[in-house]
Amino acid sequence: MAKRINLQGNQACALGAIAAGCTFYAGYPITPSSEVAEAMARELPKIGGTFIQMEDEIASMGAAIGASMGGLKVMTATSGPGFSLKQENLGYASGAEIPCVIINVMRGGPSTGMPTRPAQGDIMQARWGTHGDHAIIVLTPASVAECYSETVRAFELTERLRVPVVVLIDEVIGHLVETVDLDALKPSRLVTRKFADGPAEGFEPYAVTDDMVPPFPRPGDGYRSHTTGLTHLPSGFPTQNPSKAEAALVRTTDKLDLHADLIEAVEVAECDDADVVIASVGISARAGQAAVADLRSKGVKAGLFRPKTLWPFPEAALKAATKGAKAVVVPEMNQGQMVLEVERLLKNKSVHGLGKIDGEAITPAEIVTRVTEVLA
Amino acid sequence: MDNFEVRFSGSGGQGLILSAKFLSAALMAEGYNVAQSQSYEPVSRGGLSRSDLVVSKGQAAFPLSRGLDYLLILHGAAAHASDGLLSKNSLVLVDSELVPEPPKGDFTLISLPFTDTARKLGNKRVANIVALSALVARAGLCPMAVLENVVRTKTPPKFANLNMEAFEAGQALALQDA
Repeated sequence: MAKRINLQGNQACALGAIAAGCTFYAGYPITPSSEVAEAMARELPKIGGTFIQMEDEIASMGAAIGASMGGLKVMTATSGPGFSLKQENLGYASGAEIPCVIINVMRGGPSTGMPTRPAQGDIMQARWGTHGDHAIIVLTPASVAECYSETVRAFELTERLRVPVVVLIDEVIGHLVETVDLDALKPSRLVTRKFADGPAEGFEPYAVTDDMVPPFPRPGDGYRSHTTGLTHLPSGFPTQNPSKAEAALVRTTDKLDLHADLIEAVEVAECDDADVVIASVGISARAGQAAVADLRSKGVKAGLFRPKTLWPFPEAALKAATKGAKAVVVPEMNQGQMVLEVERLLKNKSVHGLGKIDGEAITPAEIVTRVTEVLA
Repeated sequence: MDNFEVRFSGSGGQGLILSAKFLSAALMAEGYNVAQSQSYEPVSRGGLSRSDLVVSKGQAAFPLSRGLDYLLILHGAAAHASDGLLSKNSLVLVDSELVPEPPKGDFTLISLPFTDTARKLGNKRVANIVALSALVARAGLCPMAVLENVVRTKTPPKFANLNMEAFEAGQALALQDA
């Protein structure tokens, strides 16, 4: 039975989170992400969940982490200035391997920038915003339906892998309303973290397991555990022993490589015979999709490469999709962030950026013009 | 019509996004897929405000406007903000009082007293409903009964009568002009 509704991207994130089993939200409203908080405030009480409006973004991130350490599926949402504030605690969640989902609806920056205008300026911050080498996963929905389904996937990944997952949305997609079939989006299964169920005696909260994801000790189940942002041993206690410290850190980053098949997700369209591939995310990728159709109608063989998982960057998929292409164009609402990664991976290809930071979305016509220049 | 684009534009606080939501709901009920976007300033009143609908029977690749089939302008602040998206097939409706200098060009322009009609009904804030009703009646975007049902069911009881009067008045305006 189709349940067609007109749904907003931000609201879709909230409904997706609840469908994925999220029962705790702590946040501090900020344009253009506030509708996520509004929807969670409305929906969570209906299922016995907890919504807290905290005093700021730092505390919101802390509260979400604390609730996750209590065993709940948790989420927070914010935009640029708030995302900056969350970075310290986000690093803690990464280091201590505490599952959490962070929605970041990107607006113009830096600082308070342009609150109601779209941007994609947090592409690098989402990967490297917190200090130190750390594991993080970043998903980039490009439609309202994907705001829902990628938030569901964010919960699956964060619970399965104990890595913080950022759902990175631009203001256009966050505030876009599209007709969706809600029933078709409902997840068919619920993924919940692996809780410790072995003997309590000798339990190690950061044990090295085959899947590199330590079973999570649920408070009250009788396991003694120690959680710290300091580099720690399998016992959970700090170490500065060089080989043990390195092994502990490398496990948290290597687990992403081990589970790459689970994490990676891309859309590849019409790249088989493409002379030019447009590589992009979010609303810019939707413009790219329209530009591909326009270019094809003019006889230009164009294709689209769209990471749904932006970080870790889908390296092999990009190389495969651009194998026969003469040029790659990377439209993004910033001065050139994703293009750096594409250049790094495609050293022998002609890679061209298309940046825009005026607070307006990139149009299909602008991409067509850039492609035409590049191929000339 | 399988695909068309509509823009509601004016000044923040005029209820443009609400009008767009009402039309989106009516078009969805008629089987269309709707992409509704909006742009506004970080202020609660004033500034340029607009909401766009990209309507299709299938799935729209790009959900933002590329060329407007229907444009409503309720305030002078938005008079020329959409000039680049107009073509000879465009139908442009403007408020005769608040848009004294409407866009000029090779398209159909209709100037109607939306705000004045609303004021005579007792509240100029329902100019958005007068204009929505007039636009849909004039352009035949969906059956009026479908839109009327949306406006009726989505309006808080306190404003129900006023909004329905505005709806009727907008339809009458469009028919008088035609």
